[in-house]
Amino acid sequence: MAQKGDLLLQMKGVQKRFGGAIALRGTDLSIRAGEIHALLGENGAGKSTMLKILAGVHVNDGGTISIGDKPFTTGSPQASIEQGIAVIYQEPSLFLDLTLAENVFIGRQPMKGVAIDWAQAQSEAARLFAELGVPLDPKRQARGLSIADQQVVEIAKALSMNANIILMDEPTAALSASEVERLMTVMKSLKAANKAVIFVSHRLDEVFAISDYITVMRDGATVSENPVGGTDLQKVIKEMVGRELTELFPKTENKIGDVALEIKDLTNPAYFRNISFTVRHGEIVALAGLVGSGRSEVARAIFGIDKYTTGSVKVNGKDLAKGSPVAAMAEKIALVPEDRRQQGLFMIASVNRNISMESFDRIKGKIFLNFKKERALTEIWREKLSIKYEAQSNPVESLSGGNQQKTVLAKWLATDPDILIVDEPTRGIDVGTKAEVHKLINAAAGEGKAVLMISSELPEVLGMADRIIIMREGHKVAELSRLEATQEKVIAAATTGSKGA
Amino acid sequence: MKLKLRFSWDTSILIILAVVWVAASLTTDNFLSSINVSQIFSNTSEITIMAFGVIFLIILGEIDLSVASILALGSSMLGWSYAKGAPIWLAIIICMAVGTLCGFINGWLVTKVGLGSLAVTIGTLALYRGIANGILGTNTINEFPEFWTGFGFDTIGTSFIPQSLPVIILFGIGFALLLHNTPFGRRTLAIGQSPEAARFAGVNVVRHKIIVFTFTGFMSGVAGVIYTFRFSTAQADNGIGLELLVISACLLGGVSIFGGIGTIWGVIAGVLLAGSVESWLTLREINAQWRTIVTGILLLISVAAPVLINKAKAAKVRAENKS
Amino acid sequence: MNFLSRFKPSSREGSLGLILIVTIAITGIINPRFLTGDGTRDLFTSTAVVALLAIGMAPIIIMRHIDLSVASTVGLTAWFIADLCAKHPEFTWVQCFIIGPIIGMVVGVINGLLVAGLRLPSLVVTLGTLYIVRGAVYVISNSVDYNAQEMPPSLLDLGQKVYFGIMPFTFLLVIFAMLITAWFMKYRKAGRDCYAIGSNPHAADLVGIKVFRRTFLAFVFSGAMSGLAGVFYLMRFAQVDSTAFYGQELAVVAAAVIGGVTIAGGSGTTVGATIGALLVQTIQGGLAAIGVDAFWKSAINGLLLIVAIYADRTLARKSENALLAQRIKERA
Repeated sequence: MAQKGDLLLQMKGVQKRFGGAIALRGTDLSIRAGEIHALLGENGAGKSTMLKILAGVHVNDGGTISIGDKPFTTGSPQASIEQGIAVIYQEPSLFLDLTLAENVFIGRQPMKGVAIDWAQAQSEAARLFAELGVPLDPKRQARGLSIADQQVVEIAKALSMNANIILMDEPTAALSASEVERLMTVMKSLKAANKAVIFVSHRLDEVFAISDYITVMRDGATVSENPVGGTDLQKVIKEMVGRELTELFPKTENKIGDVALEIKDLTNPAYFRNISFTVRHGEIVALAGLVGSGRSEVARAIFGIDKYTTGSVKVNGKDLAKGSPVAAMAEKIALVPEDRRQQGLFMIASVNRNISMESFDRIKGKIFLNFKKERALTEIWREKLSIKYEAQSNPVESLSGGNQQKTVLAKWLATDPDILIVDEPTRGIDVGTKAEVHKLINAAAGEGKAVLMISSELPEVLGMADRIIIMREGHKVAELSRLEATQEKVIAAATTGSKGA
Repeated sequence: MKLKLRFSWDTSILIILAVVWVAASLTTDNFLSSINVSQIFSNTSEITIMAFGVIFLIILGEIDLSVASILALGSSMLGWSYAKGAPIWLAIIICMAVGTLCGFINGWLVTKVGLGSLAVTIGTLALYRGIANGILGTNTINEFPEFWTGFGFDTIGTSFIPQSLPVIILFGIGFALLLHNTPFGRRTLAIGQSPEAARFAGVNVVRHKIIVFTFTGFMSGVAGVIYTFRFSTAQADNGIGLELLVISACLLGGVSIFGGIGTIWGVIAGVLLAGSVESWLTLREINAQWRTIVTGILLLISVAAPVLINKAKAAKVRAENKS
Repeated sequence: MNFLSRFKPSSREGSLGLILIVTIAITGIINPRFLTGDGTRDLFTSTAVVALLAIGMAPIIIMRHIDLSVASTVGLTAWFIADLCAKHPEFTWVQCFIIGPIIGMVVGVINGLLVAGLRLPSLVVTLGTLYIVRGAVYVISNSVDYNAQEMPPSLLDLGQKVYFGIMPFTFLLVIFAMLITAWFMKYRKAGRDCYAIGSNPHAADLVGIKVFRRTFLAFVFSGAMSGLAGVFYLMRFAQVDSTAFYGQELAVVAAAVIGGVTIAGGSGTTVGATIGALLVQTIQGGLAAIGVDAFWKSAINGLLLIVAIYADRTLARKSENALLAQRIKERA
């Protein structure tokens, strides 16, 4: 059993590259027993890569890692577990049909003779839950358990495997305020048991409330490592951002016209409440906030993928029927969704079939599709967006991520929308393509389209938007004009709800 | 320019079909005789008609095991209402209407009530045939107007073409156009490839599925009419067990059981292959029951071949990377 | 109210058992013959084959697979054993009980290799083997039928044997198989793995469950049960031709599903599957007792199945709604 303050994990100069991209360029981290260590940084700073190396999913290219006084054996999740490392992901994957006790002990059920000793498994699971301060019923099914409680089950499982180091990847992203509080209690009890907890979070208020140490990462390297008393919110935000806004955004001043989209008191009590804002023709409005703050859900509600309970959506002054993407498309709304592989594209279908999917009217005779027109349509958008593919008939899964994203954009731009909603338009694509996508979105606004952009990347938000609306835990907490907005203000509002800072 | 040969099962089956035809006409005297070809077409007509509906369902990622029971219920209603004195045209319409209704019920249970289509249609398979049983019991009705019963057997004029063939060809062309050349067909494929992405593309998935279940029911009703007149019999156990033949014809024709992939000509080839093999075996006076075995083996090959070929390709790539 | 809720069954099998008892009671009131020794014995005798197959099928459905080849396998085994016995008059029931499961296991091994080894969809694979096995029976049998005189008397005697006036030997074996598999599925790690695989196949891979081995063995087990069911078939009917048990595969699936083995995988027990088979048979008997024409039998079966999956869906929806309500409360 580790004593409080023992060095459990040390990483020195850890490096990792994926093909040409450098994910980690020399990261240091020291974790001691009985300590809660927050890992901060913007998207792409390298936090996830680091966790994945420890979890045994990736292998580092350089640097040293030691567990206690032994070198760390990389290579497989199994090996990581044996060295006392457990990872709790944002969305745990439990066996929903099985009981909680069984989820904790799956594959390692305690035996009595030739039979599984269920009484033992249940009492042991109950003990673990009690230890974590969350008295779940070990005999109940995992189905119907909230994400927060599922995480507790995963943590109990980690404890049952004698894990000393518990990694949590954005555990609070999907949780409500009261659930976050409960998770914090759990983390404190882990701390009391002399475990080391490393957690990634974007919610700075909770980071300061619970951590002992804060490590800030930026661009694949450690920027600072401080005890919580040795730093403050302002300083951490500065370190996370770190750079001047040097990346070029081709922001053009567009002529801003009438209100195109008017959202009033939109509420779906499970995800967001009383959201009101407008988007004008020619304007780019950014919807900022942390993952899980309800941004994407608002976009889905506007487009009709989900229903909302109260409030209204008006397009050019006319009420839009709720819960109907068909109605939204008839009013010339387009939604480029967050997850292009699951929601945006038909991966096994060819490029031209993807691009024409929403534009059948344009390639149709009286009844039948005109394949020649379809190919011509694809060709137009290939040229406009410089999409790279070998042949139109190739499945879109054979394209690179950036070209896939351009294809999603193309298929929606092909509908010639009045209102373009883009959800995380540049996630996971390379820098060059990013700039191209930004240019396209700007050009769309230049043509008088109203653009609503959801993004987690601050430079993108600040560089592109005319106005920024910031959401936190389902509420709109701030609305900033282009001139007012700074990186610090947006982060502060998104993470703590404060409008100042 | 490099010619790329891409493996796809629905083109392979056309080759297999051609090979079977060549081999059969070489080894028998009258495989390609007019009467025999006519036989092949007319023996497979109900399966083909039902497969035209079921292929859309499998592409959607759903399944309908109740088609043969719908055929039986429709056929029973046809016979029952005709025996009760309804004019034949009305009886025919009743048969198709009953089929449509049955299909709609399947679709409603799957989409609106939210039950899995495999389980639901195992249920309605028993239910619909059960109702047919309840109505007719062991009675059979086989007094139908000669004009209609001839339809199943007679040929057009003095040619060898069975009268049902134009119907099938018409349906075949119609459904091929529907699946491959219309927005409706594209949406069907899209839903099968990713229901979620289809929703984001503005497809009304629920309505689409109900429509497809309903017209699959309608097609089964049409098959019911043809079956009744071809055998001149309306009875409750008409077409028993045909549902699995229909599904295997679709799978043989390259329709993916996971949805999102399939062609009409593949399915036609699948049906014809099964029919031709049976006919060949019959002509060679080999126990026709070998057909069942051949169907099963082809079915296994149709799912295993793509997997095995991909595995072989992957192994080859690995070997190349090593060296 | 409180008094009543004490009797509320805590498990699905409990509820099913209750429904079964109520059904039997109602039927008994309408037609007292149903509750006599003869009536009960008939119920057990006529359920034995389907119940045994449902027990074999349950682990497969729990793993989110399906085995459509069982009815063909019953036909193959029944005919093959009859054929062997006709050629070897010295055979007794012992040989039958050994050979039957072995033939079935051969089919199971083929299914298992294709489904688990190549990861092919079990629906298609077992549809294929359904045809191949049935075709094999057609070809081998060459339209030869067998009747009681060609079968070992010891086997037929065993088929007639009844304990305590109500319990036929075959159903006693069914109960035996049910208890052993139920114990295995609940108290052995291999059994629990089946539930994990069906509940979340992806996570099952992640936690290191031996998916190939479990899936393969489940199909072999189902094959063995089908083989044994083939022997039961002979014991019950004392005759066999190449169409024996033709087309009954879906009835077996239906019995399991009515017994609470959900087709989406991850839940259900062999006890439930057995009760499901009994319930179907009882309701059939009950309806016959109140004078419903036997022709409606299959319609009732279908309705029963739809009601069963509807009930299952309603339960699932209830827990989804509760979760949503909880989320709304916490967000406020």
